[in-house]
Amino acid sequence: MDSRYDIQRRGGGGGINVSGGSVGGSPALTGAQSRRRKIPPRPADYKLQIIIIGSRGVGKTSLMERFTDDTFCEACKSTVGVDFKIKTVELRGKKIRLQIWDTAGQERFNSITSAYYRSAKGIVLVYDITKQETFDDLPKWMKMIDKYASEDAELLVVGNKLDCETDRIITRQQGERFASRISGMRFCEASAKDNFNVDEMFLKLVDDILSKMPLEVPNKALSNSILSLQPEPEVPPELPPPRMRCC
Amino acid sequence: MNEEYDVIVLGTGLTECILSGIMSVKGKKVLHMDRNAYYGAESASITPLEDLYKRFSLPGSPPESMGKGRDWNVDLIPKFLMANGQLVRMLLITQVTRYLDFKVVEGSFVYKKGRIYKVPSTETEALASNLMGLFEKRRFRKFLTYVAKFDEDDPTTLEGVDPKSTTMQAVYDKFSLGQDVVDFTGHALALYRTDDYLSQPCLDSIQRIKLYSESLARYGKSPYLYPLYGLGELPQGFARLSAIYGGTYMLNKPIEEIVMENGKVVGVKSEGEVRLPLELLNPNNTLLSQATKVGQVIRVICIMAHPIKDTSNANSCQIIIPQNQVNRKHDIYVCMISYAHNVAAQGKYVAIVSTTVETSDPESEIKPALDLLEPVEQKFVSLSDQYGPVDLGAESQIFISRTYDATTHFETTCDDIKDIYKRMTGTEFDFAEMERKKNDIFGDAADQ
Repeated sequence: MDSRYDIQRRGGGGGINVSGGSVGGSPALTGAQSRRRKIPPRPADYKLQIIIIGSRGVGKTSLMERFTDDTFCEACKSTVGVDFKIKTVELRGKKIRLQIWDTAGQERFNSITSAYYRSAKGIVLVYDITKQETFDDLPKWMKMIDKYASEDAELLVVGNKLDCETDRIITRQQGERFASRISGMRFCEASAKDNFNVDEMFLKLVDDILSKMPLEVPNKALSNSILSLQPEPEVPPELPPPRMRCC
Repeated sequence: MNEEYDVIVLGTGLTECILSGIMSVKGKKVLHMDRNAYYGAESASITPLEDLYKRFSLPGSPPESMGKGRDWNVDLIPKFLMANGQLVRMLLITQVTRYLDFKVVEGSFVYKKGRIYKVPSTETEALASNLMGLFEKRRFRKFLTYVAKFDEDDPTTLEGVDPKSTTMQAVYDKFSLGQDVVDFTGHALALYRTDDYLSQPCLDSIQRIKLYSESLARYGKSPYLYPLYGLGELPQGFARLSAIYGGTYMLNKPIEEIVMENGKVVGVKSEGEVRLPLELLNPNNTLLSQATKVGQVIRVICIMAHPIKDTSNANSCQIIIPQNQVNRKHDIYVCMISYAHNVAAQGKYVAIVSTTVETSDPESEIKPALDLLEPVEQKFVSLSDQYGPVDLGAESQIFISRTYDATTHFETTCDDIKDIYKRMTGTEFDFAEMERKKNDIFGDAADQ
């Protein structure tokens, strides 16, 4: 076991991970990283976590993949094998690394962990405009958000599958009305398949998050006491040698 | 819906979630169910505070002074992580650390003749400590140097001691350590809860002291780490790992029956549906006939609005009350965390007292610990039966885990995980098994 794991600290409550400490100088290289270009990229100014929630089959992974990879997979089933996807964007002159987390399929039986909601700065709540039950499920997801998510998280509700207009069941007005009842919640409709409104909705969400953030990191002292676990050093630490003299 | 699974796991306690993660990463098809609406089972952190009140049948709701109910995440079982211990190793190898943030516990204290004293974590503290006299400190230091160099595979470090037969008492005698030092070493460093270890071969004791020193050396203030938002984050992290590798999760799923045929498990019945496992992993308290009661632990959760006296206002700490200070057979532990760990509302502290029950009046047994915490705003008392498996699962393919014990960290939990792994697969556990087999982070620049 000689590979080392430099474990990235996830975004702590309230604070922003400003670059330097956690990105530069990281000794560990994952397989993907070692294939990268030799010049290290300019570290990000901000790291933000975004989660996507919603009932099974509404297109959460499709929206994410359209945004991060500009791909769409019609036949893809329930997501397995994705922890999160990273996308770097430039907004307001800043470089922002977005970590977009996947549910790992735990929504299938309403078993998403409370931990999933914790560090999210932005929450994208998705329903399928052609399936009534996915819209009826929205209050259930809001309950979880109210219970576990940060009170500062920006919310966006998305009616996906706009490409299936002919099969539409939920009207735009219904969606807007739902969002209007929740303070600060934005609404839009999109299509991951046709690549309509996807970039816009994510970027608008990030912009909203940024506009609420202070320019400087406020409580750096607090975030300094939060640990990212380091791997074992190669030589185990020795106890300091006895230095005591009889006084 | 008669899907077939390789492993069905019942209950989402930490042991079960780690094993679920291991099995999913190995490529097994795992179904993981819990009858509760939350993850963690007996090792959960309860939120909001209202749910904690309900769980302990306290009438009404929490008073306004307790702040917002959702700010609370109260552990049911008090434990810390040894910074150089097995659980941290598992977290690093599986990279479940991605989902967690930790803080170092601010200090460890030991009770002696009615007062608490800081367990030294630096040379300066050791020199100033009142826990042992000056000459004792010199002898103790020689002993610690010996322990640090001790390597069971290198006879030149042993100085005539046989790790597998020389008793720990004999090792103490070799360094002329007095009773104060012996008590301190056994209970505050090696973290034994009784004195039984004295007549046992010294290897285990020496390894425990090394674990303590190595863990202390990592972050300095104490050897312990604690996850923000409570211990309940740990099972959730491993559950996510399992789900990413294909594990299916169902909360709110009570089990009616385990279906057996010819002494082997063939199905699990839940709400009328039967699912078919090859192996079943089950925490022992739902299959009492296959588990044996090995004891009882009392745990009292105490909410305070102040830090503990004589701890320099630490926002987290451990207090060890050695058994011989209070005329008992087992030590009493206090684990304290606070709002600084996102487990309580602003200004509130949560201290959990725990010990093995020895009499028919468990609440009196812990009085010396409760006295250290006064005044306490609210107490929650629980008595927990401890079970161990009788059937090891070779025939039945049912593998039963141990109840969480009264030790102060997770080493015994990890030992149980390794033991169950061996019973399930027939091979010795290897930490490398837990490594994620594929990349599951995508997108530009995986240099997080």
